[in-house]
Amino acid sequence: MRRVAVIGVGVTQFGRHERTSAELFAEAAADALADAEMPAARVQALYYGNVVGGETEKQLHTGPQAASVLGIPTVPTTRFETACASSHAAFRHAVMEIASGASDVVLVGGAERVLNVPTADSTEYFAYASDASWEQTLGLTFPGVFALVARAHMHKYGTTEEQMAAVAVKNHKHGVLNPKAQFRKEITLDTVLKSPMVADPLKLYDCCPFTDGGAALVLVSEEVARRSRRPIWVLASAAASDWMLIGDKRDLSRVPATERAAAAAYRQAGIGPHDVDVVELHDCFTIAEIVATEGLGLFEPGAGGLAAEKGWTSLGGQIPVNPSGGLKAKGHPIGATGAAQICEVVTQLRGEAGPRQVEGARRGLTHTLGGNTATVLVSLFGRE
Amino acid sequence: MSESSQGKDTSGVTLGRFFAQAREGALTGIRCVGCGALAVPPKELCPECGARRWEPVPLSGEGTIASYTVIRVAPRGHAGDAPYAIAAVRLREGVSLLGRVVDVPLEALAVGLPVRFRPIVVKDRPAIAFGPA
Repeated sequence: MRRVAVIGVGVTQFGRHERTSAELFAEAAADALADAEMPAARVQALYYGNVVGGETEKQLHTGPQAASVLGIPTVPTTRFETACASSHAAFRHAVMEIASGASDVVLVGGAERVLNVPTADSTEYFAYASDASWEQTLGLTFPGVFALVARAHMHKYGTTEEQMAAVAVKNHKHGVLNPKAQFRKEITLDTVLKSPMVADPLKLYDCCPFTDGGAALVLVSEEVARRSRRPIWVLASAAASDWMLIGDKRDLSRVPATERAAAAAYRQAGIGPHDVDVVELHDCFTIAEIVATEGLGLFEPGAGGLAAEKGWTSLGGQIPVNPSGGLKAKGHPIGATGAAQICEVVTQLRGEAGPRQVEGARRGLTHTLGGNTATVLVSLFGRE
Repeated sequence: MSESSQGKDTSGVTLGRFFAQAREGALTGIRCVGCGALAVPPKELCPECGARRWEPVPLSGEGTIASYTVIRVAPRGHAGDAPYAIAAVRLREGVSLLGRVVDVPLEALAVGLPVRFRPIVVKDRPAIAFGPA
């Protein structure tokens, strides 16, 4: 298999936009191509993530639409949908397309538009990623899914609401340093603990926001990368799935798909969790970050809450997690999130993250979770 | 249920029949004829041994809450019901089901609380719920 590198990244402002998701993607993709100094005519394929376009924009066939709006209408284009992990799934398949020798230059990205519909509608559309017969009928929401995880984690390990709140405080603090973030405002533990209950024990500030935005990156073969200024190498990209139904999961305090994807990625790269310097992981809810830091092997099972509380995952801590602000503060345009996380880690490994730079970062990890913990992707990156 | 699906589903338990029976108050699991593994949602292949032969097994409907939440911000279609409780319930037989919790005060919800299956209809569709044991 050939080596693969990221040579260009682009992310739109995250927040509310009056443009279509295709337009948001196109802006990010044009930025990524410019960053890579790569003419659009050399792009051989587009792998695209978009989730609820059918609902919020009444738009399917979003892959070729995105390519057309960007201005590369003739490249083979596929839209991926693995709920919130969609553009990370797109990335993994693009890596395989280049590693196999099929292509040398592939564009990867995603975009989402949800703030054009009321919250009750977006909550309903996101819930379509749970099972229609068994779960949607109950009125289960995504905060509800992670509330079940939180309650199980609290019961098993004694994790506290204050420890979960510490994740939100930390990611908001990081978000202040990211000009693209949706929220650039510090909050306190009290802000989180006194915010309205959404799904007990998760409160409003335990939840990431709804977000419009796009992200894209240029992925190339080693031969092309050698001629670029600062390639960041893909050391591994792995996917894992788990039972779709909450009822079929044996231990709600864990996300087995994270553990399996991480094990596969570490094996591919020949490194372990303690070789990683910077992590962008899927903090769709504060408890999700805690469980992910455990599942990725950064901390022992049950120690993720303490790690957040002690600041071990803050910038300047032993393993900085979500220096971008994470989904919590940077925002979570679901189809773009996986690509945006990769853009952040690439920026960190280039040493170009400005005030949120993790000093001397050589290896980075991205983790993206889809749906009710049934899809997880983990990728590892390194500079030369 | 279509005739063609009957030929493959050796247990006779399909999604439609499961919920039709649940609506009448009966929970039906499936047991793998090959290895004895128990499952609730109908499946084509046994995830334990790969066999394709199942037999229906009546379930007691008795269990305990493994985790729970109270939904306060509901999807559009359920907004009128909020707040409502949802729990993952581990049944006595060892399999789990997600369901609404009804007739239990929200402040009495707890991990380990004994509950018993009871059918409900939500927006004209049969759904799983649990009430006091």
